[in-house]
Amino acid sequence: MGLFDKLAGWLGLKKEVNVLCLGLDNSGKTTIINQLKPSNAQAQDIVPTIGFSIEKFKTSSLSFTVFDMSGQGRYRNLWEHYYKEGQAIIFVIDSADKLRMVVAKEELDTLLNHHDIKHRRIPILFFANKMDVRDALSSVKVSQLLCLENIKDKPWHICATDALKGEGLQEGVDWLQDQIKTMRT
Amino acid sequence: MSESSDDRKWLDAHFDPVAGLYTFSSCLDLAELSGDGESQLVVGDLGSGSSGMKLKVYRGTALVSESSLLDLPAGLVAFFMDLHEPRIPAVAVASGPCVYVYKNLRPYFKFTLPGLEVNTLEQDVWQQAREGQIDPLTLKEMLEGIRKKADVPLSFCSLQFLSLDASDMDEFVQLHKQQPIRRQTVITCIGTLKKSTADEDGVSCLVIGTESSDIFVLDPEAFIILAKMSLPATPTMMDVTGQFDVEFRIMVACRDGNIYILRRESDKPKYCIELTSHPVGLVRVGKSVVVGCTDESLQGFTQKGKKLWRIVLPAPITTMASMDLPSRGFQAVLVGLANCEVQLYRDKNLLSTIKTPDVVSSICFGRYGREDGTLIMTTKGGGLMVKILKRTAAFEDRDSAPGPPLAQSIRLNVPKKTKLYVDQTLRERENGLAMHRAFQMDLSRLRLAAAKTYVKALESSLTPVSSSLSEPLKMNAVVQGLGPSFKLTLNIQNTATCRPVMNLAISFLYDESLYQMRSPYMRIPLLVPGLIYPVETFVECTSDKGISDIIKVFVLHEGRNCPLLTAHINMPVSEGLKLH
Ligand SMILES: Nc1nc2c(ncn2[C@@H]2O[C@H](COP(=O)(O)OP(=O)(O)OP(=O)(O)O)[C@@H](O)[C@H]2O)c(=O)[nH]1
Ligand SMILES: [Mg+2]
Repeated sequence: MGLFDKLAGWLGLKKEVNVLCLGLDNSGKTTIINQLKPSNAQAQDIVPTIGFSIEKFKTSSLSFTVFDMSGQGRYRNLWEHYYKEGQAIIFVIDSADKLRMVVAKEELDTLLNHHDIKHRRIPILFFANKMDVRDALSSVKVSQLLCLENIKDKPWHICATDALKGEGLQEGVDWLQDQIKTMRT
Repeated sequence: MSESSDDRKWLDAHFDPVAGLYTFSSCLDLAELSGDGESQLVVGDLGSGSSGMKLKVYRGTALVSESSLLDLPAGLVAFFMDLHEPRIPAVAVASGPCVYVYKNLRPYFKFTLPGLEVNTLEQDVWQQAREGQIDPLTLKEMLEGIRKKADVPLSFCSLQFLSLDASDMDEFVQLHKQQPIRRQTVITCIGTLKKSTADEDGVSCLVIGTESSDIFVLDPEAFIILAKMSLPATPTMMDVTGQFDVEFRIMVACRDGNIYILRRESDKPKYCIELTSHPVGLVRVGKSVVVGCTDESLQGFTQKGKKLWRIVLPAPITTMASMDLPSRGFQAVLVGLANCEVQLYRDKNLLSTIKTPDVVSSICFGRYGREDGTLIMTTKGGGLMVKILKRTAAFEDRDSAPGPPLAQSIRLNVPKKTKLYVDQTLRERENGLAMHRAFQMDLSRLRLAAAKTYVKALESSLTPVSSSLSEPLKMNAVVQGLGPSFKLTLNIQNTATCRPVMNLAISFLYDESLYQMRSPYMRIPLLVPGLIYPVETFVECTSDKGISDIIKVFVLHEGRNCPLLTAHINMPVSEGLKLH
C-alpha cells in the first residue's frame, strides 16, 4: 500500500471506485449489492431493477460506487454506455438457471469483446449466485460453462454465493479490493 | 451459407436426444404454472401410441412433473378458467371424447362430449340379442345389413363386434349386451378463445373440434356448451382469434382438404378456402393465414380466404408453428421439414434455416423460463431441443422466391406534386370526356389530312415510285461533287415483271438564276424490266452566295401532260467557286 493510501486511510478519505454490476435479470445483482451496504441502509423488498440504479458501499480502504444495471433483455443495451466509466466489473450468474447459462455466456462474450473493455486490464469478479438452490451448478461448473479460462488478459475471480444469507460475498469483495489497489500502485 | 448465419442467431440452450418425448405441436404449450415468473413447458406425451401416454411438465432443463393420461392426447392447451389470484392457468388435455382439466397439475374436472343419435334398428337388434332371441352370427348379419344402408352410423361397440372372429363373438356379446348402446364422437382438435377481454391473462373458453364435424365452445367455469357450429367435414387443426362475447373467428382445416372460416354471427362457415392438396399445418400471422400442404407447398391467404402467395418447400412438412415476438414486433412461421431442417418464413420469404440432428415432430415458440424468444422442438426420436433467440439477432427479408425484385419495393425520392400537376389532374378528372372527344376529333382530322396529302401525292405523281399500272417505275437520285459542278445521276428502274416501258423522257425544273444544266431535257431508252438505268447529267451552280435550292425531276411519257414520277432533289451548297 502506497503512502498516500495509508495517509488517506488514516484520515478516513477513501479512494472512489466505479464498479459495474452486470448479469442476467433475476440473477441476484440487486440482492448482492443490498447485502454489501451497511445494514441500516439495506432495502427490505427487492424488486426487478428498471434501467439501472446507483448504489454506494465502503470497504476497509475503498469507497465503491456501483452501477446496478437491469439484466432484463430490453435494458441490456444500456450496459455498454457505462463501460468507459467502470473500473471493475461484478458479473452475477444465477447458477440454478442452467437453461440460460448460454445467454449469460453470450452477454459475457459481448462484454469482453466490446472496444471499451477489450484492451483494458479491468478486474472481473464473478458471483455464481444462488448456490443454496437445490441442483445449482458449482462455481467450477459455471466457470467451465462460461469458458472463463479463456480470459487471459484480465484478472478474474469466481466465488459461489448465497446473496440471501450473504455467504461468499466478502471473499469476492476482498479480492476485488486487492485487485484495485495493485492496479493503482 | 444459411447454416453459419443461423448459428449467430440462436443459442443452443439445451438438447437431450433421449428425453423420450413423443408428441406433436398440438400437444405442446408454454405456461407460467408456478406463478414465479418462470414459464414452463407442458407436454401431452403420446408415449408409444398405445401405452405410456403422459402429461409432462418441464422447467428449465429438468422434467419436474409427470402423470399418466388415460388415452392418447389429441391436443393440449393452457388457459385461464377463472379470475382467482394468483393467476395460474389450468391445463386442458383433450383425449377421446373427453377434456381433462388440470389445476395445479392435479385433475380438476372432466368434460365429456354429448352422445350422438343412436340408430334405432341397431338398438332393436341388440335388444333381441340381450333377450337371447338371436345368436351372435345372426346379430352380425343384421348389423352388417344396418351398416350398409343406414344413415345413422353404427356405434363403436357394434363396429368392434363386426371386426371380431367368430370365436370371440360369444364372449363379446356376453360382456356388452347389458350395456346401453351409445354412440360417442371424439375430439380431434382443441383451442382457446378469450371470453370477453383481450387481456393476456383473460378468462378463456375452450374450443373443441370433433370427429362428427362439429365445433363446440365451452364455458370456462361451468363447462357447458355455449355455442355449437357445424362443418362440412371433420376438423383437424384450428386457429381461434377474438373474444367470444365480442367477435371471433375460427379457422379450421378439415379432412376434406378445405379450410373453413367461422364467425360469431353464424353457425355455418362464412368463407371456404379450397386447397389443391391436404393441409398439414395452419398458422395465423396477424391478419393472414399460412397453410402448409402435403404437396410440399406453403401458401398464404387473407382472413377472407383470398390467396396471396404460394411457395414450394424443399421437403415434406412435418409440423408448423407460429413465431411471435411482440417485444420486437416480429411475427413469422416456423416450418419443420422432413429433411431435418426447420425453416423460418415471413410471408413467402425464407428468413433462416435451422439444421436439426433429427426430424422435428413438434415446435413451440414463446416465453420459456425467463426468455421470451425460446424455440422448443421435439424430434421424431423423442429428443428435446431448446434454442434461445439472441438478443442481437436480426432477420433480414431476403426475397428467395421468384417474383418482383426487391429493388421494386425501394421507395423512390419522387418530388412532391406541384400545384400545376394537381390542377391538371383535377382538370383531367373533371373534363375527361370532353378531352377524350377533342383528342379523337383531332386524331380523325390528322388522319384525314394525311389521307388527303397522300391522295394528292398520288394524283400529282409526287412520289418516287410510280403507281400507274402500265408504267410502274422507281427512281432515285444521287448528287455527287462538291460544287460548283455537280453530277446528277438518276437511277430508273422498271418494276414491271415482263413489260418494257418506252417513250419516256426526263425534264428538270430549276431556278435558272442559280443553276445551269447541260441537258434539261433527256430522252430515256426503252426500259427492260428489272434493270437499273443510270441517267447522268451535270449541273453547274452559278451563284457564289453559298445558297442552294431544289431541283425538280419529272419523268414524262410522251404525249401525256401529267408526269409519271416526280422527285425533288435537295441540292447541296456549292463549296467551290467557278473559275472564270
Ligand atoms: N435462493 C436464492 N435466491 C436469490 C439469491 N439471490 C437473489 N435471489 C432472489 O432472486 C430474485 C432476483 O433478485 P434480484 O436481486 O432482483 O435480481 P437482479 O439481478 O437485480 O435482477 P434485475 O434487476 O431484474 O436485473 C429475488 O427474488 C431474490 O430474492 C440467492 O442467492 N439464493
Ligand atoms: Mg436488480
